[in-house]
Amino acid sequence: MIPTDDELFRLPDDGEQRPRLRGSFAPESGLYFWPRRKRCPVTRSAVRDVDLGPVGVLHSWTFLHVPRMGKVSFGDSGGYGVGQVDLPEGVRIQAPLMGTEADWSIGDEMGLTLFPVGADDEGNELVTFRFEAIR
Amino acid sequence: MSLLARDVYVVGVGMHPFNNDGVPVYDMAYDAGIAALDDSGLDFPEIGALYNGYLGGGIGMGVRVAKEFGLTGIPVTHVENASATGSCAFGEAVHAVAGGRVDVAMALGFDDLNRMGGIGRSGKPGLGAEDVMLPAAFFAMWATRRMHECGTTVETYAQIAAKNWNHARENPFAQRRVDHEMTVDEILGSTMIAYPHTSKMACAAGGGAAAAIVATEEVARRIGGPAIKVVASQQQSETYTDGHVFLGAVIGPAQMTRDTSAAAYEQAGLGPGDLDLVQVHDAFPVEELVYYELLGICGEGEADKLVATGETSIGGRIPFSTDGGLTARGHPGGPTGLAQIHETVLQLRGTARLRQVDGARTGLCHMAGAGSVCVVHILQRS
Repeated sequence: MIPTDDELFRLPDDGEQRPRLRGSFAPESGLYFWPRRKRCPVTRSAVRDVDLGPVGVLHSWTFLHVPRMGKVSFGDSGGYGVGQVDLPEGVRIQAPLMGTEADWSIGDEMGLTLFPVGADDEGNELVTFRFEAIR
Repeated sequence: MSLLARDVYVVGVGMHPFNNDGVPVYDMAYDAGIAALDDSGLDFPEIGALYNGYLGGGIGMGVRVAKEFGLTGIPVTHVENASATGSCAFGEAVHAVAGGRVDVAMALGFDDLNRMGGIGRSGKPGLGAEDVMLPAAFFAMWATRRMHECGTTVETYAQIAAKNWNHARENPFAQRRVDHEMTVDEILGSTMIAYPHTSKMACAAGGGAAAAIVATEEVARRIGGPAIKVVASQQQSETYTDGHVFLGAVIGPAQMTRDTSAAAYEQAGLGPGDLDLVQVHDAFPVEELVYYELLGICGEGEADKLVATGETSIGGRIPFSTDGGLTARGHPGGPTGLAQIHETVLQLRGTARLRQVDGARTGLCHMAGAGSVCVVHILQRS
C-alpha cells in the first residue's frame, strides 16, 4: 500500500488505527500548519515536522455532484462529499468525506481514514486520505 | 493609506460580449481593445503601456495580440491572478499612470474557460487535494456553514442568483440572457452542482474580452466627456487567520475582503454609505451575500435582510452585480474584472440604459482570486 502523496500524509504506524497528516509546528508562534511550511508564515521563525490528527470536528461540508460547474458530471455514479475539518492543533483541513449527505453534520467528530484509488504501474495499491464520521 | 500620486481617470472601455459560442479568444481580445480605443477617441500610438490579463492563451499571447493594435514599441506585460486577473491588470495600468511611468495605459483581459485545463497538482491527476477540492466545493462549504451559523436559507441564495440573471437580461454583453423573468423556483430546479448550489447559481463559464484605458487628468480633459476618476486602487493577498486553509481551492479568508475594502475606503476618503452600486466576485451567491457584510454595506448577520427587501436589486438602496455579475454576465477568467470596470463606467456615465442606476456617482468593484488575492477599485464621477 502506497500513499498517493507522502508529503501530505502517512500510513498508520504499528499500533495506530488511523493515518496521520504531515504538518509543521512553529515553537516561537505556537502555531501548527498543514501542509508543511518552509518557515512560520506569521513570525518567519523555524518550523519542525509534526504529525497531525487523526481526529477533528466537521466545520463545514458539501456534496459535489458536478465538479466543474456543468462541464463534467458524475452522472449515475453519484459524486463525493467534501468537508473542512478542524483539528485540535488549530488546523483546518479540506478533504473528501466518506459516505453521503446523511452521514454527517456540522460539529460531528471526524476521523482520518484511507481510501483506495487504484494501483501504480507495479501493481501496488494506491491510497489517499478522507475523513469519516465517528459513531 | 496614501492617495494615488497622480489623479487617474478611465477614458475608454470596451467589451466583446461574454459567450459560450467558441469565438476565438484572439479575435475577442482585438475587438475589446479596439472598442476601448474607439470609446476613448485615442489611437493606439497614444497608449504608453499595455497590461494583458489572461489565464489561458499560452506564452506570449498578450504580445501577439498587441501586434494587431500596432507595432509602437510600448511595454506589454502579462498579468495573471486567477479570477482577479483583469482587476489586477487594471490596477497595474492605474499605477503606471499614477506613478508617472506613462500618461495613458490600457488593461485588456481575454480568455475562454472552456479551452483551459482544470485545476490540479501536477503529475497526479485526480489524486491531488486540489483535484478534488474544487472551487464549487469551496464556496458550497461557505454556504452550508453560513446556513448553520446564520440560518440563511437555500431560497436566499436562489433569490440572489435570480436577481443577477434578471439584471443580465438588460445587458447585451452578458452570456446568460433569458427571455423571461428568472424565478427562485427555476434557480432551485436546475441541476445540483454542490449542495446547496445549483447550476443556475454557479457563475457562467465561457469566453469573452474586456478592456479599459486610463489616463492622466490632462489627457482626460483633452478627451472631454464625463470624467470617471479612479479614487481607490487596492490589492492584497492573505494574512493569517484562525482556521487558515492552505490546500485545496482557496480564495483566502473573509478578512482579506474586509481589509482590502477598508484600505480602499481610506484611500478614497469614502465609506460604504457613499456607494451607489457595487460589483463583486459572485461566483456563487453565498459570496455576494457575505460581501454585503464584509464590504460594510450592512452589519454582521444582516445580509439576508438586504436580499429579502430587495435593497441590492436595481431600484434598491445599493444595487449589486448590475450587469448580471459572474452569475449571468459571465466569468471567462481574465476579462471578468475588466467587465466590472466597463459596467461601472457605463453606470457612472449614465449610459447603462434599462439597467441604469438612478443618479449613480460612485461605484465599487471587488474581485477575489484563488491563491489568494483580493482587489478593490472605487470609481467616481467627478
